[in-house]
Amino acid sequence: MADTVQEFVFNLTFPFSRTLGSTLSTFASALAQGQIIGVRTGGRVIAPPLEYDPETAADAGTDWVRVGPKGTVSSWTWIPEPTNLHPLDHAFGFAFITLDGADTPMIHAVDAGSESAMSAGMRVEAKFKAPADCVGRIDDIIAFVPAADPSPSEGAGEPYEAPAENDITEMDAFCDLTYIDNASPTTTMWAKALMEGRLIGQKCPQCARTIVGPRGMCSVCAIELDESHVIEVPDRGVVSNFTVVTPVQYHGQTETEPFVRCSIMLDGADAVIAQQEILDIPATDVRVGMRVACVWAPANERSVDDIDNRSRGSGGDAILGWRLTGEPDEPAENYLDRMM
Amino acid sequence: MSHQPAAVVGIGQTHHKRKRADVSIAGLVREAAQRALEDANMDWGDIDAVVLGKAPDLFEGVMKPEMYLADALGAVNKPMFRVHTAGSVGGSTGIVGSHLVSSGRHKRVLSVAFEKQSEGNAQFALGGGKGASIGAGGAFAPFIRAYIRRSGAPEDIGWMVAVKDRLNGAKNPYAHLKLADITIDKVKESPMMWDPLHFLESCPSSDGACAVIFTDEDGGKAASKPPAWVLATAMKSEPGWYSGRDAVNPQAAHACAQEIYKAVGITNPREQIDCAELYVPFSWYEPMWLEAHEIAAPGEGWKMTQSGATALDGDFPVNMSGGVLSSNPIGASGLLRFAEAALQVRGLAEDHQVGGANLAIAQAYGANAQFFAMWAVGSSLNPLG
Repeated sequence: MADTVQEFVFNLTFPFSRTLGSTLSTFASALAQGQIIGVRTGGRVIAPPLEYDPETAADAGTDWVRVGPKGTVSSWTWIPEPTNLHPLDHAFGFAFITLDGADTPMIHAVDAGSESAMSAGMRVEAKFKAPADCVGRIDDIIAFVPAADPSPSEGAGEPYEAPAENDITEMDAFCDLTYIDNASPTTTMWAKALMEGRLIGQKCPQCARTIVGPRGMCSVCAIELDESHVIEVPDRGVVSNFTVVTPVQYHGQTETEPFVRCSIMLDGADAVIAQQEILDIPATDVRVGMRVACVWAPANERSVDDIDNRSRGSGGDAILGWRLTGEPDEPAENYLDRMM
Repeated sequence: MSHQPAAVVGIGQTHHKRKRADVSIAGLVREAAQRALEDANMDWGDIDAVVLGKAPDLFEGVMKPEMYLADALGAVNKPMFRVHTAGSVGGSTGIVGSHLVSSGRHKRVLSVAFEKQSEGNAQFALGGGKGASIGAGGAFAPFIRAYIRRSGAPEDIGWMVAVKDRLNGAKNPYAHLKLADITIDKVKESPMMWDPLHFLESCPSSDGACAVIFTDEDGGKAASKPPAWVLATAMKSEPGWYSGRDAVNPQAAHACAQEIYKAVGITNPREQIDCAELYVPFSWYEPMWLEAHEIAAPGEGWKMTQSGATALDGDFPVNMSGGVLSSNPIGASGLLRFAEAALQVRGLAEDHQVGGANLAIAQAYGANAQFFAMWAVGSSLNPLG
């Protein structure tokens, strides 16, 4: 068992989905066909097109213009060691590229081989994925590469006739974020107690409130609490309030059936532990006033990997849930107001 | 609070829907803002500063959207503010906009609030990206159970609110839900979502935006349509969780209302206020806020619902727009309440207009029922005479 827990690593993923609106749908649908477009507005061609003039916010309209596939680098930076979040797996440049037929630069990767090959003024051209792999995303263009022939792009600046209906109106935006929570001293204290099969809290010397899952402060008195304020709290109590949640099946949902989460008023302590599970009975049978006791995971199976600095009072995988003691219920009206 | 008068001269909102598949996020906020500019008879160039509000960025997975939206909202070379106070953010966004005018710093300010919930999932976002999210309904259900117990309210009060707000929403062309055929039985028989809350007692998940334009006193007087005068604003917060906290009756809810009533000179809210837009995402919050905002005596709020006092034709109409129960683009929901109160005193609420509304309040709350934003608006600077 670790003596202290210093870091908790979390991975947040979600398949967000963007609706593009008519301007970006037109852009994405053209891109999937290998055509880059801009919009003529306010006397210049903006590419990629915006729905609005970025200087005045006026509607940009639908005067579409073919741009590229060649363009000129106006400024750049070199990425010597790309991460998994970068568009290319080897060293490359990010550059402002003003496409032929456009008056504004777009940003994209330039696969130039080496930093010494990059220069302001260099001519580049778009290298697309195979047509069957193009889905109307900006990475349909794998990268820009030095142009074999620096002469102007054919057809750039000419009008683009958009189809009556765009093929592509939405875009997936998958989020994959890993972050590290550096455990606060109180989180470390709480996690350690859970691993030992104990519940602890901090008692405020001023208002005498007990906070289960120590926080290092009293939220009411706004004073700091330290190790000297830590007290053991019992792992038995009374269900003071609860909710039965019908789970929405979002990405990452772990529940499939209605589940219950209870507030439990701990015996002999003016303290409530929230969002606890009740084991062995259907969610619909949970009542305010039930007497329950904590069911700890076997010592060698306890884990606090899921605890972070904000999961105050969460038992992680150290607490399996709470089970009825078999004693008679307490009167509900004595407990209902103790949501917290 | 010493300040100069601020007037609402433009209001715009989107048609709220489960999914606005026809617009980008920029298109969504621009739709609301352009309607507000049109209402104010202004153009983008007339605006001096922009305030943007929305709920947590995890809802859409677009971090710091104020950066992406600055030029879409005409904020180039102008101040741009981002506001976030959880569910109350729409209200706070309106209040910040009004303060930029009442402080004398700017003459014309655009406040915009939005949420495009269809791009992500609210339960996911509210659960911090973990499984077994209890969602907002799960968080509030225990508070509601405690309210029902202590007030002794009959169980059909929640169902009545659900029906009343949806019937109002059916009169609002912008509302997401237009359930003109809703009945008590349909609410009662709808699936249980967060015991004791049924599906039809819960707010929808919406895409939508709202925009409000503020001007100074001269601008208000010169406006082509009647202005709404911002009479008072208040925001209050309290810790979301502490041992023994009474989340049914938060101190911050009382303090917020008291500050408004004092500033406007309201001594009898029920009599003097003509109508109210309260943040009611789950049916029972109507009687709960009527009490916590001291419009009804403790334990008496549900009687206002039961007697029909809070209906559109009652003596204290609540949520004339259909409320959060009819449209819930979360970040915008607070500003929609504030905008509806302003529409009422401007006399521009059409089919959901309360006759002779001269003094209205709006409220929004957020997080663990711990952040409150409220304003009072009037058809004149002194509607109580």
